[in-house]
Amino acid sequence: MTASRCEQITVADLTDYAGGECDATATAALEEHVFSCVDCGARAAEFDGLLRAIRSAIRSAGVGGFVTDAVLNRLSRDGVRVRSYTLTPGAIVPCAVWDDDEMMALRLRGDFGGVRQVTLTRRIAGTEVARVTSEVAGDSSGEIVHAVPAAWIREVPAVEVQLELLAREGDTERSIGSYTLLHGGVLHRRS
Amino acid sequence: MPDAHPTLEANSDESLACRIAEGPPGSTDAEEAELYRRFAPRVRLYGRCHLRNEAASDDLVQEVLLLTIERLRAGEVRRPEQIGSFILGTSRTMIQAGRRTTRRREQLSARFGLGKEEVTSLSDAALDGPRVAACLGALAERDRLVVMLTFYADAEAPRIANDLGVTSGAVRAIRHRAMARLRDCVLGGARL
Repeated sequence: MTASRCEQITVADLTDYAGGECDATATAALEEHVFSCVDCGARAAEFDGLLRAIRSAIRSAGVGGFVTDAVLNRLSRDGVRVRSYTLTPGAIVPCAVWDDDEMMALRLRGDFGGVRQVTLTRRIAGTEVARVTSEVAGDSSGEIVHAVPAAWIREVPAVEVQLELLAREGDTERSIGSYTLLHGGVLHRRS
Repeated sequence: MPDAHPTLEANSDESLACRIAEGPPGSTDAEEAELYRRFAPRVRLYGRCHLRNEAASDDLVQEVLLLTIERLRAGEVRRPEQIGSFILGTSRTMIQAGRRTTRRREQLSARFGLGKEEVTSLSDAALDGPRVAACLGALAERDRLVVMLTFYADAEAPRIANDLGVTSGAVRAIRHRAMARLRDCVLGGARL
């Protein structure tokens, strides 16, 4: 027979607690229990380990996707080397990844007015290799930021990369902008 | 490396505290390390909630637990059977006092020989970095961004809601869903 474990504190409770979503009463009650209950203390320890692993994974520049300047600023404070390219619709921009770059931030500009969902496609030599959709919309500055780990880019040979941002409006899609990166491959700094 | 004191894990918090309090000087290193391992994550989480700063939370862990061990050794913890309450109370006191006593922490560390590496919990060791990154990558874009903003960029909920153009309640719901999926993926071995 397995002894029943205390389930008073859930992962959702810990998520609220760590995310600063609890009021003072709920916070105090959770803390009193977590510091005195073996089972919930272990669950809190597991959750703390998960938070540390999340931060470590992001800090190691292994996680890309749509981000905001708050994330990029934190990466910079953590010493992550971020190379940024700002692309306006129709732009054709030469680019490269240096051997010590860790993250590439693509600042994609366009008219995001009223847009609630965007899709970003990436084509290499005419073939679509990636498509991501998100409810993340561009802010009032008319820009959306997509981060790509530099390690991924190093795998790409010197080639033309075409990006397109699409906005979903009802059942149809409209193009926000097309952008072309003339990827020059990996550049090495002289020692 | 096998645990040199596997039986300590079966001891209650109270038992560990009593052994430290009653043991001759220098004889309870394993008990102290086990107490540290158990409570460090809880104090760090407490620090994260109240300080909103990762480095300050790590400092708090050091200060609180080294002071706890010092008090236990000196017989100054009146109720070792309530060691959890003592540690929570010490955490509260230190944060309320706004003490960032780095020098004192360094003195305690040197005295007791406890380094930061001992803060690492077993759960940390079990977490595989590439898998965590892959699990983050498997989240929906918006879910992942909420996790990054909350637990990496330390952004406040209203700022996140504003940036994403959603309500604070929606941010909370997204965060619940994302953390549940991440936990299942990382610790439960769910398929990516």
